[in-house]
Amino acid sequence: MSRNEIAWKEQPKFPSTHFVDTRIYTDNEIFREEQEKIFNKCWIIGCHESELPNAFDYRTFHHPGGAQLFMIRGEDMKVRAFYNICPHRGNTLLYDPVGNAKRITCIFHAWSFSPKGDCTDIPRGKEGYQERYGCKDASLREVKSEVGYGGFVWVNVDDDSCTLKEYIGDALGMMEENLSMPLEVFTYHKAIVNTNYKLWHDTNSEFYHDYMHYFNRITGMMQPGYFDRKYKGYPNGHASVGSMAIKYDAYAGSQERAVGWPGLAPGGWVLIDLFPGMTFNLRTSVLRMDTAIPLGPDKLIIEFRGLGLKSDTPEQRAERVRDHNTIWGPFGRNLHEDLLGVHGQGLAMRERSDSKWVLHGREENSTIHDEVGMRHFYAEWGKRMGRQASDPFGDNKLA
Amino acid sequence: MTPKQLIDELIYRSSLAMDSKNFTGFLDLCDPAFRYAITAYIPEIRKEMTWLEHDKDGMKVLFDNLPRHNSDHSSLSRHVTVYTVEQDEAKQQAKTVSALQVFKTSLDGGATELFAVGKVYDTISMNGGNPKLLDRNVRLDTRMLGIGYHIPL
Ligand code: FES
Ligand SMILES: [Fe+2]
Repeated sequence: MSRNEIAWKEQPKFPSTHFVDTRIYTDNEIFREEQEKIFNKCWIIGCHESELPNAFDYRTFHHPGGAQLFMIRGEDMKVRAFYNICPHRGNTLLYDPVGNAKRITCIFHAWSFSPKGDCTDIPRGKEGYQERYGCKDASLREVKSEVGYGGFVWVNVDDDSCTLKEYIGDALGMMEENLSMPLEVFTYHKAIVNTNYKLWHDTNSEFYHDYMHYFNRITGMMQPGYFDRKYKGYPNGHASVGSMAIKYDAYAGSQERAVGWPGLAPGGWVLIDLFPGMTFNLRTSVLRMDTAIPLGPDKLIIEFRGLGLKSDTPEQRAERVRDHNTIWGPFGRNLHEDLLGVHGQGLAMRERSDSKWVLHGREENSTIHDEVGMRHFYAEWGKRMGRQASDPFGDNKLA
Repeated sequence: MTPKQLIDELIYRSSLAMDSKNFTGFLDLCDPAFRYAITAYIPEIRKEMTWLEHDKDGMKVLFDNLPRHNSDHSSLSRHVTVYTVEQDEAKQQAKTVSALQVFKTSLDGGATELFAVGKVYDTISMNGGNPKLLDRNVRLDTRMLGIGYHIPL
């Protein structure tokens, strides 16, 4: 029997950890609070070291907390991160997403800065400011940065944050060997989707949706071992899913796997979700890295990176490119399906669409179709937000 | 028709076939040795990228598998203008450069948006007056492709 209005809104017959109120995906107040309490407190991947190979190379980054940043490699080869904003009249300092700048000069009034963030020149400074203001007052705002865990450049805009090591804990342990050699980003693209960032991270945190992927159904779900894969939760909201053997040749036109990845069994697949919106996804011969950057409660940029080994021969690299783009990339078989899914959720769950609950209620001993990965995320979310995801405004009168 | 006209018509027919999802018709315009690629330069990482790459058999498998996938069903309209045609009499081949604009029209309401712009680099085998596509490189300027697309451009 279909449900009427009252029944539609009735609390799901699960504990309150096993469902969420859809207002967490649509409410602007919650989104602003997430920027403050989550994104501005957590370590976030800004780029990869291979995007800044030389001294003075820089890369810009739209931080999910809202700040515009750039990461730049100094003469000392250390990578630092700064607000991409001129302290004078607030202009963007570096316009191009990537480049090389020994000296960063604002185009507006030509104030200059070093890659260490010091102001090095204010044209006609003495004439205008006399002794009242000078370069010493005009340094750039530096934010914490560290390079690690596969050579990624991590940033944290909270000066008082814990270290990256403390933040990650053991969550990337399963990939330690896989990330132990120099890596290189070989592909990068972004997608803007009208949906909430958590819905993307949720999709990366549950494999039950393999039903959506023809490729995964026949190469994974129908193969032995699939249902043995297990979720593991770690402190700070991170989670991993262990490996299995994927039978790639079950999909017509799939290449025979030769290149693989150090420390990954042929056909293996390891996925690690890091709170609040990053995913390490190691499969075939490619490490894919997603970074979710919300622009609002219902607008999201996802940055997609594909990485190989720095030591790749051109032939190996070509195979990684092929492996990546067969399933991922803008014309890949799986990525389009995943994006179609969260796009559809974004359509259905809008303010006033009278959506009410999203279920995270599957329990299968933490194996692949269990929804414990999402539950683990929302436990951390609730702790940081001081709100329960199932009752974010305290008005649901939960039993 | 002059060889130039035959070449233009081949390219335009290939777009019409793809627009109407007549994949068999598209493959009929391709030489058995046909190769297809979608490529782009990615300035953020200063690297070349090949988003999609198939030979004729691979294209056929891709087309045959389409109904098994979940896809955006918006239609695409490809606007192609052949800019240059260079014929190589000795090789019995021609190389062409065409401008490409692809528009996407939603099923619900029929709103049209620009999906991608770029150039198409074709190599055509003249095949004794019955030209066929030998190689196609769809080179995109657009890299922000929204939720992506399952059908080649
Ligand atoms: S705004 Fe940058 S120098 Fe004036
Ligand atoms: Fe997926």
